[in-house]
Amino acid sequence: MPENTSKHFWKSLEERDADLVQIASAGDEFPEDLTTLRDGFGRRDFLKAAGFTLATAAMAGCGRAPVQKAIPFLVQPEEITPGVAYFYASTCDGCSAGCGLLVKNRDGRPIKLEGNPEHPMSRGGLCAVGQASLLGLYDSTRYLQPQEQGTPTTWEEADRAIAAQLQTVRMNRGAIRFLTGTVTSPTSRAMIGSFLRGFADGRHVSYDPLSISAILDAYERTHGARVLPRCRFDRVDVIASFDADFLGTWISPVEFTAGYRAGRALEGEHPRMSYHVQFESRMSVTGSKADRRVRVAPSELGLVMSQLAVRVARKAGAGISWSVSDSSVPVKVLDDLAERLWQARGRSLVVCGEQDVQAQVLCNFLNHLLNNYGATLDTERPSYQRQGNERELETLVRDLRDGKVAALFIHGVNPVFDLPGGDELSALLKKVSLVVSFAERPDETSALAHFVCPEPHRLESWADAEAVAGTLSLAQPTIHPIGTNRALIESLSSWMGAPKPAYDILRDRWQASVFSRQKKERSFQAFWDRSVHDGFAEVEPERAKLQSFKMAAVQPVPGGKAPAAGAFALVLYPKVGILDGRHSHNPWLQELPDPITKVAWDNYACLSPAAAARLGVADGDVVRIELGAGGAAKTLELPVCVQPGQHEQTVAVACGYGGKATERFTQVGPRWFQAKLSVGENGRVGKNVAPLAELRDGALRYAQANVSLVKTGKKQPLACTQDHHSIRVPEKLALPGGERREIIQETTLPVLLSGERGAKHEAHSGQNTEMWPEDHPSPGHRWAMVIDLSACTGCSACVVACQAENNIPVVGRDEVRRRRAMHWMRVDRYYSGPDDEVDVAHQPMFCQQCGHASCETVCPVLATVHSEEGLNQQVYNRCVGTRYCANNCAYKVRRFNWFDYPREERLQNMALNPDVTVRSRGVMEKCTFCVQRIQAAKIEAKQRGEKLSDGAIRTACQQSCPAQAIVFGDRNDPVSKVSQLLRSGRRYAVLGEYNFQPSVGYLKIVRNRPEGEGERHNG
Amino acid sequence: MRTSILTLVLLAALAFTLLTLASSLGSVHIPGNDQGYEPVQPINFSHRLHAGEMQISCLYCHAGAGRSRHAGVPAANVCMNCHRFVSAPLGLVRAEDAQAQKEKREPRRMVSPEIQKLYTALALNDQMQPDPAHKPRPIEWVKVHNLPDFVYFDHRPHVSAGVDCQTCHGPMETMERVRQSADLAMGWCVNCHRTSNQTGVAGKKVQAPTDCSACHY
Repeated sequence: MPENTSKHFWKSLEERDADLVQIASAGDEFPEDLTTLRDGFGRRDFLKAAGFTLATAAMAGCGRAPVQKAIPFLVQPEEITPGVAYFYASTCDGCSAGCGLLVKNRDGRPIKLEGNPEHPMSRGGLCAVGQASLLGLYDSTRYLQPQEQGTPTTWEEADRAIAAQLQTVRMNRGAIRFLTGTVTSPTSRAMIGSFLRGFADGRHVSYDPLSISAILDAYERTHGARVLPRCRFDRVDVIASFDADFLGTWISPVEFTAGYRAGRALEGEHPRMSYHVQFESRMSVTGSKADRRVRVAPSELGLVMSQLAVRVARKAGAGISWSVSDSSVPVKVLDDLAERLWQARGRSLVVCGEQDVQAQVLCNFLNHLLNNYGATLDTERPSYQRQGNERELETLVRDLRDGKVAALFIHGVNPVFDLPGGDELSALLKKVSLVVSFAERPDETSALAHFVCPEPHRLESWADAEAVAGTLSLAQPTIHPIGTNRALIESLSSWMGAPKPAYDILRDRWQASVFSRQKKERSFQAFWDRSVHDGFAEVEPERAKLQSFKMAAVQPVPGGKAPAAGAFALVLYPKVGILDGRHSHNPWLQELPDPITKVAWDNYACLSPAAAARLGVADGDVVRIELGAGGAAKTLELPVCVQPGQHEQTVAVACGYGGKATERFTQVGPRWFQAKLSVGENGRVGKNVAPLAELRDGALRYAQANVSLVKTGKKQPLACTQDHHSIRVPEKLALPGGERREIIQETTLPVLLSGERGAKHEAHSGQNTEMWPEDHPSPGHRWAMVIDLSACTGCSACVVACQAENNIPVVGRDEVRRRRAMHWMRVDRYYSGPDDEVDVAHQPMFCQQCGHASCETVCPVLATVHSEEGLNQQVYNRCVGTRYCANNCAYKVRRFNWFDYPREERLQNMALNPDVTVRSRGVMEKCTFCVQRIQAAKIEAKQRGEKLSDGAIRTACQQSCPAQAIVFGDRNDPVSKVSQLLRSGRRYAVLGEYNFQPSVGYLKIVRNRPEGEGERHNG
Repeated sequence: MRTSILTLVLLAALAFTLLTLASSLGSVHIPGNDQGYEPVQPINFSHRLHAGEMQISCLYCHAGAGRSRHAGVPAANVCMNCHRFVSAPLGLVRAEDAQAQKEKREPRRMVSPEIQKLYTALALNDQMQPDPAHKPRPIEWVKVHNLPDFVYFDHRPHVSAGVDCQTCHGPMETMERVRQSADLAMGWCVNCHRTSNQTGVAGKKVQAPTDCSACHY
């Protein structure tokens, strides 16, 4: 046992501080009482009824199975073989990051999205949102045809009416506005442009509900152009991030995670690990990975940057004479960071997530001083992933108020919902004579539109995207469209009088303006074919016109106003999965527990433990957030979630909740007499916090300096999974020695590099195997997996990937609260350290496919047995649902089907994977290591007469992981990647001391800290 | 008292069930076992004629067996490879030829009623041209060999190992109408896997898995 075990890991405050009163619920797999067999109905009655049921059931079973039809094609397309999956390259539409996709199709319908490993940005990863966007296709609440004033109409009629109105606008020289989110498609952008040129006063206004417009505005000041240089985290050695959640939700998280991971490659001959400091007020996914995380009040962030700038400028010899006051950040931390940044100039990066132009200018100044432009900030190929300009948005709102706008087209955004002045805006929209929405499904804004010209789902249509200059991606239809929807470019072309299908528009434009930007292919046809096949094309970027750095723009940022005593600063943030709410209709994303708080199905007010204690509230107590006073006060009631690591005077609330699209979730989950709805009192999931944001001085601002919190006395229990399926023994409840479960292991970079304590922990595992004789050898393959905890960011892409691959049902908020979430893969989040300066560890946990499995020994019907290839098989048709296995599983990874979880709607059944059984009620299930993929790869190798190669099998979680933290393979093959990693000095087995011989190895977390400051073991 | 009422009700129900069942005693079999299942098909397609008499390879029509999990029922365009030309039995065509010669007229194109169903499905007229009056409509064959949803059977490894189709499907080349000849129960599968591991298939050594997860996942 290492000597410094003074700090312990814990999953939640309740668990850490648990006393004997809570013992009953602390570790139970099934917390319910057995209350069904009570008075009046005795054992004999039960046996009689059971015998009768059995007899009639057997007789009923004696009939023939229902007739099944086999309906072949009439004329079978050459490239299609029924039952064989084929893949199309495409581009993700989940956010504006534009990651590469491979769409897995079976029998004419997409059933799974995977990352495209060849894509230059996302490199094979795909986030939770991307994974889940598949379900958006099979959504019957989508618009499936155009609407006029809320009633379905035909395209001919809609076109005729809109064209007539547009003619009036043209005649009257009226103002026409096109309001969009960021449009990464160059074709759409060009089409909107040429459409608007047909009018005397046409303007394209774009904004991002999750805006970073301050960065663009800052570049306009410092470099003379609104550009967004591409952050190259793969080239970075020292990262200073000021509230930028780049691993979670900021700009392009998959791309950044892949780069960040490349900068932290610890295996191999030349270990490399970047140093990452995060200044933030709430606990973000990125903050949870930082080597040093500093809690800073939102009002102080600019000040801290100024302090840092002074120090770096001094080193650089830039003569600035600022007098900057002190902040709460210790001088030592800033000195150390400045020194590290300076040492790593050209290989460092400062990023800032504040919506404050001054702070962003400082950020640019720092990067300028550190020579990062052209090195870690790519200005040659800048990013187009965010283009919003809120100064223009403000102008538009002003024009609307003045009644100047004659026609408004709204695409890709939901301003009535996601902008602060939603109510005012909805009143203003009613005054515009023509409002056309392109929304895919009914939302707050489309309800007010005169016409809805719905766009098809990304998987139904042709589209392109240029997320980063010079990297053009293509999307192609992968299914016969479910409705008659029409792409934006098609609608525009028909209103411009030359209707053309989207494919022709796209192809013509690529021929005219993309083909000439590359030299690889001589003929356009070859170029086009290759681009469609690959899903992307790399071409010459259009040059951004950057000027040299303008020192004059730089000023120190003084400390903002701190909240009054007893008051709080409010921070609105996007959650992984829900983002700005554009996917809030998606049940997979609603049920995905947040990586940090582990709460699903709601938004809530995050408070630090100290603040919660001061207010006298705990998890689930409803508080009222009050902004302003008197008649203009805005209030919002939300349940509290106590969040260690959060700044004490900050309350953080997730945006994107409470939208109209979540009204559908009254239908989700099993219906039984104790069932409760998944929606709140307002009939929706969570509350919309956009009214608390602010559109001020040309930027959307997500922080409020001064709000007060009032305890209401109401309760709203959260669907929080952090204490569910816990494999921890609460420290205060454990027997002496029993609390020392080394579930999470950490080390520091110096210790790792010195290599002395390498494989030490292997010795801990007991070697007494008497209870389980070696009776199941694995002569052929033996499957194993390694999870690099140092690489894992907790982003939870794997959870949704697993859900999509393995037909895992959605159970709804109430069932999640009852510990019945069905995810086979969960990401456990542990804290260590004191409340205010916690370290976070993420640990993906799923069936460990134990060699000596405790579940197997207790199954009375042999429904869970060992395979020759080291898998712990679960045979659904044998399972009788005793749940003994789940009770006996030490890792708590088995899930019981309490119900036949029907899909919320039948159309979603189209997304089911036909290679995986849909489990019925009363059956236990768990991770299978994606055995369907193992079988498929084995059969394909056998067909080709080849040996199964390493890497031929990629499990769904592994495929999706943007950080490549998961490696799967055959441990009987000594040169396979998984075997090599299993031999790593960082490898340990969770609960290895019990000798379950798990097939999953975990690699210790490494923190880039001085020795002795970080080595911790769970104890 | 309550208990005895329950007993009576249950007994009565049991007796009633037994009585109903007794009437159909002839067709009682173990649940899930559909051995001998021989449903009527929309077209009286004869495997005896095609596979037996004409010696057409199984994989000519069921090409999926070598490439996919499902052997598949052939698409109508595969039937048309031959039936574009063959539209009636030879005897019928010869008789018409003889009749036409006798009546000194052009022989009529003979189309047997079963092959006519194929043309109807494809919406073709008797000149083999698309008939706009009809809509093409896929043929709804009745699936004979059904496995429960929790079983994953893949044709590919069996075909590539050299297992004869008849091993599982019985003497198809003699069947006028397709009949399920094996019970397709798990014991039957596993027995074959075990024996094959010892005796090999078609003279080659094979590794037939007997793990649960070979078929159940």
